[in-house]
Amino acid sequence: MKQILLKILRDSNKWSIILLTIVLFVSIPILSIAFNALNGPGESWGHIVHNMLPNYLKNSFWLVFGTSMLTLFFGISSAWIVSRYQIPFAKQLQWLLILPLAIPSYITAYAYAGFFDYAGFFEKIIGFRVDIMNIYGLIFILSISLYPYVFVASRAFFVNQSNNIIEASKILGASERKTFFKLILPLARPAFIGGLILVIMEVLNDYGAAKYYGINTFTTGIFRAWFSLEEPETAIYLSVILLVTILLFIILEKKQRKNTAYFNSVKNHTEVRKLELSKKWRYILFFVAIVPFLLGFVIPLLQLLFWAFLTYKDVFTTSFFTIALQSLSISLVSAVCTVSFALIFIYASKWNRLQFLKSFEKIGVLGYAIPGAVIAVGILIPSLFLDKSIVMFFKNNLDIKIGFLINGTVLILIYAFIIRYLAVAYSPIEASSLKLNNTLVDASKLLGKSNVFTFFKIELPILKPAILSGCILVFVDVMKELPLTLILKPYHINTLAVKAYEYASDELIAEAALPSLFIILTGILPIVFLNRLISKS
Amino acid sequence: MKKILSILLLSVLIISCKSEKKEPVEKEQEVNIYTHRHYKPDQELFAQFEKETGIKVNVVNASADELIQKMSLEGEQSPADVLITVDAGRLVRAKNNGLLQSVKSEFLEETIPSHLKDEDNQWFALTKRARVVVYNPDNVKAEDLSTYEALTDDKWKNKILIRSSSNIYNQSLMASIIANSDEATAVKWAEGIVANMARSPKGNDRDQIKAVVAGEGDLAVVNTYYIGKLLNSKNADEVKAGEGIKVFFPNQEGRGAHVNVSGAGVAKYAPNKVNAIKFMEFLASEKAQKVFAKANYEYPVNTKVMPSELLQSWGSFKEDTLPLSKLGENNKKAVLAFDAASWK
Repeated sequence: MKQILLKILRDSNKWSIILLTIVLFVSIPILSIAFNALNGPGESWGHIVHNMLPNYLKNSFWLVFGTSMLTLFFGISSAWIVSRYQIPFAKQLQWLLILPLAIPSYITAYAYAGFFDYAGFFEKIIGFRVDIMNIYGLIFILSISLYPYVFVASRAFFVNQSNNIIEASKILGASERKTFFKLILPLARPAFIGGLILVIMEVLNDYGAAKYYGINTFTTGIFRAWFSLEEPETAIYLSVILLVTILLFIILEKKQRKNTAYFNSVKNHTEVRKLELSKKWRYILFFVAIVPFLLGFVIPLLQLLFWAFLTYKDVFTTSFFTIALQSLSISLVSAVCTVSFALIFIYASKWNRLQFLKSFEKIGVLGYAIPGAVIAVGILIPSLFLDKSIVMFFKNNLDIKIGFLINGTVLILIYAFIIRYLAVAYSPIEASSLKLNNTLVDASKLLGKSNVFTFFKIELPILKPAILSGCILVFVDVMKELPLTLILKPYHINTLAVKAYEYASDELIAEAALPSLFIILTGILPIVFLNRLISKS
Repeated sequence: MKKILSILLLSVLIISCKSEKKEPVEKEQEVNIYTHRHYKPDQELFAQFEKETGIKVNVVNASADELIQKMSLEGEQSPADVLITVDAGRLVRAKNNGLLQSVKSEFLEETIPSHLKDEDNQWFALTKRARVVVYNPDNVKAEDLSTYEALTDDKWKNKILIRSSSNIYNQSLMASIIANSDEATAVKWAEGIVANMARSPKGNDRDQIKAVVAGEGDLAVVNTYYIGKLLNSKNADEVKAGEGIKVFFPNQEGRGAHVNVSGAGVAKYAPNKVNAIKFMEFLASEKAQKVFAKANYEYPVNTKVMPSELLQSWGSFKEDTLPLSKLGENNKKAVLAFDAASWK
């Protein structure tokens, strides 16, 4: 025992302390949920297992499976095409293909339901109706709105992939097809799996779209147990099961690729030379690459524009500008905070020498797997405890009456977003840092430079595209976020997503179009802006 | 990078300025509303209340479930004064969780009929909506319809459109059926409805009406409130859908049509109790009730106020006078019954 303690004391450095602090900071809500789950489920547990669980599991499985396949197909194919081939508008497609992320998936679901609705555009143009409100439709909706996660991650990899790997493969006589499937795809795995994990968590977290399309999933089950059956303990129990499943999945994936090291020869780090194509193939590939953009962005956008045109007079008021500004600033601050957190997390974990602390690293990504409403409770329980203690302290000792210091402020909202979206910033940065060439870093250290100096001079510039990707993704996610914002937001702050939700929940879906369009617009601008930065660097 | 940093700093400034400005001043009169209602007329009424009384109205909008959760976590320090929900079930839940308190208000007690308020005066209904049957007049005659119970008849096979059982209005309807019979009968009823459904439940009430007009089924069970919304939609096709159906009030020979309410209660630990009661009396007043009735297609609870012309055109009806508290008490049983009948 004494020896272990001595070893810990010897191996720990300031990074161990920083890492431990962050781990604690991030895991407070998760621990408070886990602690609650220890009490076991409520009395309806037997009823749920008997009547509902098989259905939840079946639907969630097919949803995850179908969406994974489809997002991988859309994301990887379009990423490979735009980074490898000379096709028309390749440059524009690089960022156009990310745009579906700017539309919340429940809004896409509403837009498509309207598109295929009675007297909707589809019926008017084509002449008959197609029912999209079923599990296949839901898989389609989630895929076209979530594939950019896979696209962004794979493209970052394809672009940075040294040209000479491809050329070596070509020189050795491998065909284009063989090069892609045998070499590039396996090498890109950490990147697109990172993206895919985000997709899977989003799918498992989706509530709005599944509820509207009438599909019972694990998450709709959590809400049903919580609100319809009035058993929060059962809901928390269900979400812990969901959480453990996701955690196992992540660990399994990590274990599988553990022994594979990814090294790049930085000397030949040139951008992929784009292949010229015959005219026929140019247009075929262009078509393949643009389809996800049309489906995931253009069609829902047109439907929303139509609705907004019908309703803007009622919806557009002066407070709209204020709300938009508030949404924007909250998202920006949250994005930068989250990315900084992810960076410190990754590097503190790397520089700390205590092995057992490293295994806590994955706690950072757990927040993304927990339904937003459950996280909110996980945050409310400890923060209210703290607030109440402070209030009581002031009242009893100083006879001063004060209000809550933490709850109902922007701080707690941003804290919640950091926990919820740490994984979104973490994945691209981690994937990028994995394929960072260690020799450069080692050289810098041999020259006597500190960790921090090396990080700012060598690692940060190389990681910049990944960091900015993380920034974009978190920003857009926060713009769209709903349950956390609803529960934790201060009185005087409102967001566009909340506004859109208010309309949609009152079945005023056409009225929800204008705030949705603002969310989309404010999501597009940073995507375009940051994409410029990426291509410049 | 510098640019990003400066934008960041700026936005932090904006947010912090905003929060400072709105910091409640010591002596300012205010009332904090936790509400599930987020309709435009409500906001106008809040503004009017502010103007008349000088009491500032602070609003937190979220679903009632989340608000109840929030209030119970906040406990004695909760800033909430008034909780407003769009169904009776949630008010009963709030009461059972000890989140509300009894209030003394002669005006509220006189104005609001006894079955529309809590027996301990912990909450009061503000507006009503009826859950009715709408039908396609080309295929169905009003004489064919009678009660909710009769919808399980074989003649409606593949004809009925109704939304998911996760919807509170369906849960309340089921709770009223349980209150009027027993759980076994209720499960049987749900099974009968499931067997007659034209399609697996999906979408909202408006979608059910549109599906009737599109010919997917012949009748739908919906709230009157949404028919009003549909008829006043900005989308001409939706208005057409609203005009394509007729309204039928079920169980007129018996207990009456099922009504649900939107209502309010004063929070147990309300820091501004007096203002909270004033606020609720204001919402039940003739003036406010007229706004509810006119702008939001709801039935007023204040009997001195007439419903809107549209609602009057469907005719007057007999409503189920089952105390609404029963809906809340039976809500969980209702959900279990739905699950047992595999009503999605």
